[in-house]
Amino acid sequence: MESPDTFTLLPIQMDPASKAISATGPSSNALTTELKALNALHKSLLGVDTPTGTPPPPVPVNPKRSAQIGKLRESGNASFRKGDHVNAIRMYTLAIEMALGRPGWEPSGLVREEVSGLLSNRAQANMAQQNWGEGAVDAEASVEMQKGNNAKAWWRRGRCLVEMGRIDEAESWVKQALEVQSTEQDLLSLREEIEKRKAGK
Amino acid sequence: MWPFDAIDWVMLLVPFAYITVLVGSLFVFLGIYRRRKAVKAASLEPWFPPHLQRNVYLSLLHMENPKVPDSILKAALLRRATEDIHRIVQIRNAKQALQVLLQRGSVGDDLWQRFQRAEKEIEEELRDVVTEANAFAPNWGQTIFQSASEMAQNTHIRDRLTEILATAPSEKEWWEKRKATIQSDFMKELDDEKSPRREGHVAKGSDDDAVIVEAGGPADKAGKGKKKKGKH
Repeated sequence: MESPDTFTLLPIQMDPASKAISATGPSSNALTTELKALNALHKSLLGVDTPTGTPPPPVPVNPKRSAQIGKLRESGNASFRKGDHVNAIRMYTLAIEMALGRPGWEPSGLVREEVSGLLSNRAQANMAQQNWGEGAVDAEASVEMQKGNNAKAWWRRGRCLVEMGRIDEAESWVKQALEVQSTEQDLLSLREEIEKRKAGK
Repeated sequence: MWPFDAIDWVMLLVPFAYITVLVGSLFVFLGIYRRRKAVKAASLEPWFPPHLQRNVYLSLLHMENPKVPDSILKAALLRRATEDIHRIVQIRNAKQALQVLLQRGSVGDDLWQRFQRAEKEIEEELRDVVTEANAFAPNWGQTIFQSASEMAQNTHIRDRLTEILATAPSEKEWWEKRKATIQSDFMKELDDEKSPRREGHVAKGSDDDAVIVEAGGPADKAGKGKKKKGKH
């Protein structure tokens, strides 16, 4: 880093009409990526409705988006109960996109929670259609978002792996799961099943 | 006056001149030594690469024709704060480990000096960002780093998620292929069981046997898989 009172003047320019910043002449890859991120952030900052045009502090969350996500999740759940799994997956996917579309300065913990629940639900809908591959990936992503208090997602990936016949993978996965959720009954019985299948093989 | 008459001023000047020269040269050497040390410290490789976001921000700030609107500057400042968050995290993580290594003598003094310089720089940098933020909007300085840290986290989450979800198509394909093989193996096994062994073709028969043996493993699994699926 340069000393506090100097900086490197970069070859950049602004398009007067679109206000987009771009590099002049040949530029490094890093600069191009950075400017792209900057322009994207600028666009989302323009949508902020604070009087100063600065992002609001993280804590009071804009309730509009949360409500929309909740609505999509509810309709996904309703479809799932009716047995319309394809539609349920569509709804969950929309809700996930919506949750990931939150502006960057909103609390990341909230995004984790929402996305993890939605992914877990989508995994369930995938499993109901015997799409074990997608189900396993969704459940894994859900666990990645939230490790603790997410026993269902842990179990779902384990189940999918067993169904696909990847017993060894399932075994180590369930072992990991039990380190986090040691008392979960479903996981314990899944482990028993895996052990039985390994012994029977 | 008595005491002053008795002093030989010229002779007294000698020890004073001696002391002056001594002290003077001491300070000169001290100055040179300090300067050298500073040059050496400055010539050490910086801890962090150039701060791209800071450069972008300051370049935009100094753009005259046309002037960059405030909204872009705010976005650039936020990007800069986000990069600062990454750096603070790195510094904090490195500090403990580095201290231990230094005590054990596993790393040189140079590294520690570089680290301390980086630490000082990042402090300056944070103060600078807060001042700039407060210039854009009153009290933004208090929340800009909160926002920046959430932004860093959010980017991290999205990256991880994209990475994991990108494996979905290949997983799906793998399972579909696998399902197809299991099914065809299963069907073959059924066919083999049904069709009576043709007589007279000993060579052919043994060939069939080989196929059955080969298919035994996966077909066995397929049987189990079918059972499981029935339960669901």
